[in-house]
Amino acid sequence: MHILRFLKTGSLVLSMALSLWATDYDVQKFGVKGDGVTVNTASIQYAIDYISDHGGGRLVFTAGTYRTGSIYLKSGVILHLERAATLMSTTNPFDFVKDEDINWMSMIFAKYQKDIGITGEGGIDGRGFETANNMLNYIQRGLFDDKLLWDRPREPNRPQNIYFRECENITITGITIKDPASWNQTYDQCVNILVDGITVDSKSYWNNDGIDIVDCDGVVIKNSYFDAADDVICFKSHDPDKICQNIVVDNCVGRSSANGLKFGTVSRGGFRNVKVTNLTIFDTYRSAITFAAVDGGIVENIVVDGVRSINTGNVIYLRIGDRWSKGKEPVMKDITIRNVYAEVPLGKPDAGYGYEGPIEDLPRNISPSSIVGLPNHRIENVTLENIEIVYPGGSDPFYAKVGLTPEELDNIPEMPAKYPEFSQFKELPAWGFYLRHADGITFKNVTLRAKNKDYRPAIVMDDVKGALFKDMEIEEPESEQNSKEQIFQYQSENIRID
Amino acid sequence: MMIRIFIFTIVLCFNWGLSVQGKDYKASLFGIKSDGITLNTGSIQTAIDFISQEGGGRLVFYVGRYLTGSIELKSNVTIHLEEGAVLVGVPSIYDYYSAGNFRSLLYSKDQANISVTGKGVIMGNGRSLIKSRNEQKKNGYLPSNSKDGLPGLVQFVNCDSVVLTGIILTESGGDVVSVHGSNHVNIAGLTIKNKGYSARGMTLSGNRHIALTNSYFETDGIELEFLSKNQDLRIDDTKNEFGEILKRP
Repeated sequence: MHILRFLKTGSLVLSMALSLWATDYDVQKFGVKGDGVTVNTASIQYAIDYISDHGGGRLVFTAGTYRTGSIYLKSGVILHLERAATLMSTTNPFDFVKDEDINWMSMIFAKYQKDIGITGEGGIDGRGFETANNMLNYIQRGLFDDKLLWDRPREPNRPQNIYFRECENITITGITIKDPASWNQTYDQCVNILVDGITVDSKSYWNNDGIDIVDCDGVVIKNSYFDAADDVICFKSHDPDKICQNIVVDNCVGRSSANGLKFGTVSRGGFRNVKVTNLTIFDTYRSAITFAAVDGGIVENIVVDGVRSINTGNVIYLRIGDRWSKGKEPVMKDITIRNVYAEVPLGKPDAGYGYEGPIEDLPRNISPSSIVGLPNHRIENVTLENIEIVYPGGSDPFYAKVGLTPEELDNIPEMPAKYPEFSQFKELPAWGFYLRHADGITFKNVTLRAKNKDYRPAIVMDDVKGALFKDMEIEEPESEQNSKEQIFQYQSENIRID
Repeated sequence: MMIRIFIFTIVLCFNWGLSVQGKDYKASLFGIKSDGITLNTGSIQTAIDFISQEGGGRLVFYVGRYLTGSIELKSNVTIHLEEGAVLVGVPSIYDYYSAGNFRSLLYSKDQANISVTGKGVIMGNGRSLIKSRNEQKKNGYLPSNSKDGLPGLVQFVNCDSVVLTGIILTESGGDVVSVHGSNHVNIAGLTIKNKGYSARGMTLSGNRHIALTNSYFETDGIELEFLSKNQDLRIDDTKNEFGEILKRP
């Protein structure tokens, strides 16, 4: 009986494996040309449809440059890009479909499909700079309707490299994905996604994210490298009735002219059950780690363990806002961030990269990490453990100053509807951490180090109910002689400093 | 005085209406490239859709080679090929679509007021397409039913007010021109040079009020075939390469 069951299982596994690897199809046999000139959209689509209709398999691209417009990946088909094979977008926006269901343009679409993927050591090249500028040109000539907010086409009117919607069992491994005209790769309401060993180079135009996971269930992103003009590893929730959940991010490296690991901005349904380990963020303009619940969604049960954040404008930013909530109650609770080493520079961390982050929210001195809720929507149960952050210090109160008087602290605006960024409040009264409208905060073995004397204390709490500081280490030149009070509380209760 | 102003206004409106109807759009406005290398399908289709939505006009191609796959013609749009302008079919079988039973480079179905005019050329690249099709059949990827045959050049199905004048049609793997089930069709001054292919020159079936005048056929396949009856069909001054006058059935 046991043997029978074993055999059954074995044959099942075998047949699955067989069907997975059943057939390789040489793309060139479909008349697709890797000459870098021929636009192969129709032939590639035909090949995908053919393979999907014949039981699935891998469509193999051998070394060469394959130009294409929009294609749709179908169930059972893996695009396999061999080393030195590049799937390269044309630069003509009119070669791309703005999908009616998805309402976005993309080079590789998939919707309502399963068992699909893109694998191999080759690359996807969106040629986004040219495509986006060609689109801009068409809009200026009145051929395409777009209001040119910020003097650029809206994100949906520029092609992404990959947009998968409502798909199941997705494998993205090994490949390099570069130069989209918009976000880079979006997986929207998908189930079971494996992203392993990919390289992302995404700074050819505005809004070039690294990877966007929207309302997905069951996501593993590991061993990957991201360099992006906009947010790098980005989880979103577009649908108030959906949620982005059961997520593992392991052993990834990111660089951004916006944020590193980001949950939000669009956060209607929310995020839960997330584990992030061994993350490196460097040369990043905004926050290394940021969670936003600004559209009525939840952020719950999050562990971030093992972060190196080198030369980033900010380290941790947690924010509840009330932007597009439409009556839903935003929630942010049960968040643990531990084993973090971070260095915040005095200068601009992303200087010299393409599409540098915007200089804004001035005047302000170096901003602290922040945990900021709203008076009636509080951030709950956040633990920060084994953390060391090195700040430049040296703030200039004549340039920007928010002191510790009740009047100055009360004057810090709530800004519930503002786009959430660490710098949104301009000058804040602390150099290390600013906490407001938050309950149940634990700092355990946290070291904050200012390289130069700062006019502000390390930590300011405003309306915090319940906080424990254990084994804190705070270093700032001349602070000990002056017996400076580094942890300042205002309108707070139940605060313990051990 | 009032009457004169009234008439003047009417004339003005009439002129204005005409000029809107006849608005010209240069192909380059839509980023269409004349280099013979760039595949223009997406741009040409966008141009036609745009012009049709704006109320109509002419999409004008000047001298150059414009590589394209199948294009769907829409109501109130004229494709105007100036002398020296060549629409060139892309040599890949999968870039062609169909409005009826077979594929075509230009096709239109259920549209009104559509024209293809000028002294330019539509060149089908039939030789390459035969190669592409045979290769795909050999590889077993292309089934051998009629819909997947070789593309023709111009196809109208169930259209109203069709004008096809002046242009030169050549190197077509499939039937060069086919007009089915359409009303008020004016075909004049065409040159069909399609030696070396077994395709028919023109098929006309089930049309009403259709005229074929002043045209020239040079084909290895049947020059002109009537697959079903056409009502009010007129054929004048139309010859083949031997000077033989082509006639109604």
